[in-house]
Amino acid sequence: MTGGTPAACGLPARSRGVIALLEENCTVCMLCARECPDWCIYIESHQEPVPGTEYGGEDPARAPAGRGRQRVRNVLDRFAIDFSLCMYCGICVEACPYDALFWSPEFSYAETDIAALTHEQGRLREWMWTVPPPPRHEEGAPPPREARGQIP
Amino acid sequence: MAPEEIIAAVGDGLPPEVRCEADHRGVVLRVPPGHWLAALAFARERLDCDFFDWLTAVDEADEGFSVVVHVYSLAGRHHVLLAAPLPRSSPWLPTATGIYRGAAWHERETHEMFGIGFDGHPHLAPLLLPDGFEGHPLRKDFVLAARAAKEWPGVKEPGGRPEPGADRPAPGGERPVPRARRRGPPHVPDGWGPA
Repeated sequence: MTGGTPAACGLPARSRGVIALLEENCTVCMLCARECPDWCIYIESHQEPVPGTEYGGEDPARAPAGRGRQRVRNVLDRFAIDFSLCMYCGICVEACPYDALFWSPEFSYAETDIAALTHEQGRLREWMWTVPPPPRHEEGAPPPREARGQIP
Repeated sequence: MAPEEIIAAVGDGLPPEVRCEADHRGVVLRVPPGHWLAALAFARERLDCDFFDWLTAVDEADEGFSVVVHVYSLAGRHHVLLAAPLPRSSPWLPTATGIYRGAAWHERETHEMFGIGFDGHPHLAPLLLPDGFEGHPLRKDFVLAARAAKEWPGVKEPGGRPEPGADRPAPGGERPVPRARRRGPPHVPDGWGPA
């Protein structure tokens, strides 16, 4: 296992200690916040124009002024998980279609102030360094659905 | 006892109104309330289920409630679930404390959480809820204060963009409600949450 405290190092890779955010992968689709049964994921975002796609951009023939659509992308401003509410069900990890949320076995983050259990973006990103590589496929277990061709 | 032996014993010793169901998880006895105490005594004496594990209830919505008991045999290492259906209008059962004394706390908890009464219980006072608490919080029609007071974080749109169609008035004059907000939070009934 990479990183991690000595205690968490001895834990199985699928232990549910804390949820880590790989913010580079987050597209602000809001699926995790909407699926969360505890309502403990807070996301704020805004939209920015994609450079080169402004009206009358680089290639006037492709994006002539007054025609077509301004292309925009979502930019993440805040991603926070309130671990004082979280019940560690992992639905957000399952729901994320972009592999931005991961389980980490790290469990040692008790606080004396309940507000400090709300981990903001930077802290959630730091947990990524403690996410272990996925375990090997168990011997004798049925192959994953992807390998059976059930998912195109 | 194997599940088949339990089913055979129930067929011999209990009236036919007590139905037996078995699947890979074990045996479930569906007991009409009138046979509740007889079935519990049968489980303890004849099925040798001397260990009382737990008693609780399930809110089955339109079908009323089920009171469920799990008992176990320490010697035989088999276990049985007993479930009694109760009408929503008058959910009452005779107390199981005469057969399993350990059921007393479980019945008190089931009483306060589901509003189910237990005839003959020695002290059916609230167990866990604070003094003066009104309502039965594990009933499905109980509105959770935390859901009514807090705004759903999922109401925001991706990119924080304005609600679709907010920039142009709809033909009817009213703005269309965005899909996520129209759907509302999953598993929360209509009418909950801040206005």
